[in-house]
Amino acid sequence: MFGFLGDIGSAIMTPLYYAVSAVLLFWHKVFSTLGLSENSGWTWALAIVGLTITIRAALIPLFVRQIKSSRNMQLLQPQIKELQKKYAHDREKLTQEQMKLWKETGTNPFASCLPLILQMPIFFALFRTIDRAAHGTPKGFLSVKDAASLENAKLLGAKIADTFMKTDLTETRILTMTLVVAMCITQFTTQRQLMSKNMPADAMSGPYAQQQKMLLYVLPVVFAVGGVAFPLGVLIYWTTSNLWTMGQQFYVIRRNPAPGTPAFAAKQERDKARGRIVVEDPLKKAAEEAAPKPAPRVQPKNQPRAERKKAPAPKPTPKQRGGPKSGPQQPKKKPDITAKDPEKDI
Amino acid sequence: MKTSPLKWAIIGFLKAYRFAISPLYGQVCRYHPTCSAYALQAVETHGAIRGVYLAARRVMRCHPWAAGGYDPVPQSHR
Repeated sequence: MFGFLGDIGSAIMTPLYYAVSAVLLFWHKVFSTLGLSENSGWTWALAIVGLTITIRAALIPLFVRQIKSSRNMQLLQPQIKELQKKYAHDREKLTQEQMKLWKETGTNPFASCLPLILQMPIFFALFRTIDRAAHGTPKGFLSVKDAASLENAKLLGAKIADTFMKTDLTETRILTMTLVVAMCITQFTTQRQLMSKNMPADAMSGPYAQQQKMLLYVLPVVFAVGGVAFPLGVLIYWTTSNLWTMGQQFYVIRRNPAPGTPAFAAKQERDKARGRIVVEDPLKKAAEEAAPKPAPRVQPKNQPRAERKKAPAPKPTPKQRGGPKSGPQQPKKKPDITAKDPEKDI
Repeated sequence: MKTSPLKWAIIGFLKAYRFAISPLYGQVCRYHPTCSAYALQAVETHGAIRGVYLAARRVMRCHPWAAGGYDPVPQSHR
């Protein structure tokens, strides 16, 4: 059983070792041609940074798709608000309806886990490549000479192939811990930027915000554990990747802020100052039309799954039952966003 | 079959993942229920082998070009 799984694993990983080592050697060549010493830690560290940038740049198409989707998202906001009002009492149903709306309009705010699934084996391949080089058994395109060079490369006195646990240099310990701190700071900044600037005030409470807050405590622990167990080179990759994420998010918040947030107001200000067309906040309009006081959120009932599946649609209000079908609860006709978007079926 | 150790191992793994790793990424799934919730439910209702097969197919379906949406575990036909 495990032999079989191991075979699948190595079938996936072997090409990745070649890919990772090829990109690494390419950047190593670039920086050593530029005048850096071949065996210097700086050359190898910069090669790892180059590898990170190559990978993240290759993933940009996935991210562009997200930007397009977030543009359409803004147009859907009023309908989402309506659903939130309608299913305030039933979160499960609300999520289902929201998902249906996104599917119908070809708009989905979530990236799917593909970018993560793609990056995970690459991360692992880099870890193994550096780790094996440190043990004198090179992977992929690395020659024994390259491996020896990487094994002994020193950056500010710290060995790139060493881990915090298995090193006899204080410099390695200091540098790995510095990188752990750097990762925590970048992650924290990214998170904070998202929460304070790009989240509507009413999204700041509730389970999503709760989850985001938990992240702030869980991630430093993960980074600390990783920082102790992984070689310095892998931590360089990790930190660079974090920095990239931060920059990418900064760009998105600036260019495509979520409606009803401080970031959206800031973009309106900037557009006005530069004499561009100022886009009206779709959420504000919806809020003006709606009643000033939103109904208090009712706790969802604890239902066993069997009952939930069978549960009928929410009871119509008495008004609807008696009168004509033009109650305030009736959803408005959805604008056909997909018709305007020729890139929908990419 | 009902108390298959494999099934419990998979369920344990999924629960651990949902507790410790999944919150790290926040919500990224384009479907509801999310892939890991789907996997958990699939293994619980259809057993280890069919459950893992269903979950694997779901993860393959979850990419930025998929529409996403509401996609529950198929009902057991037993």
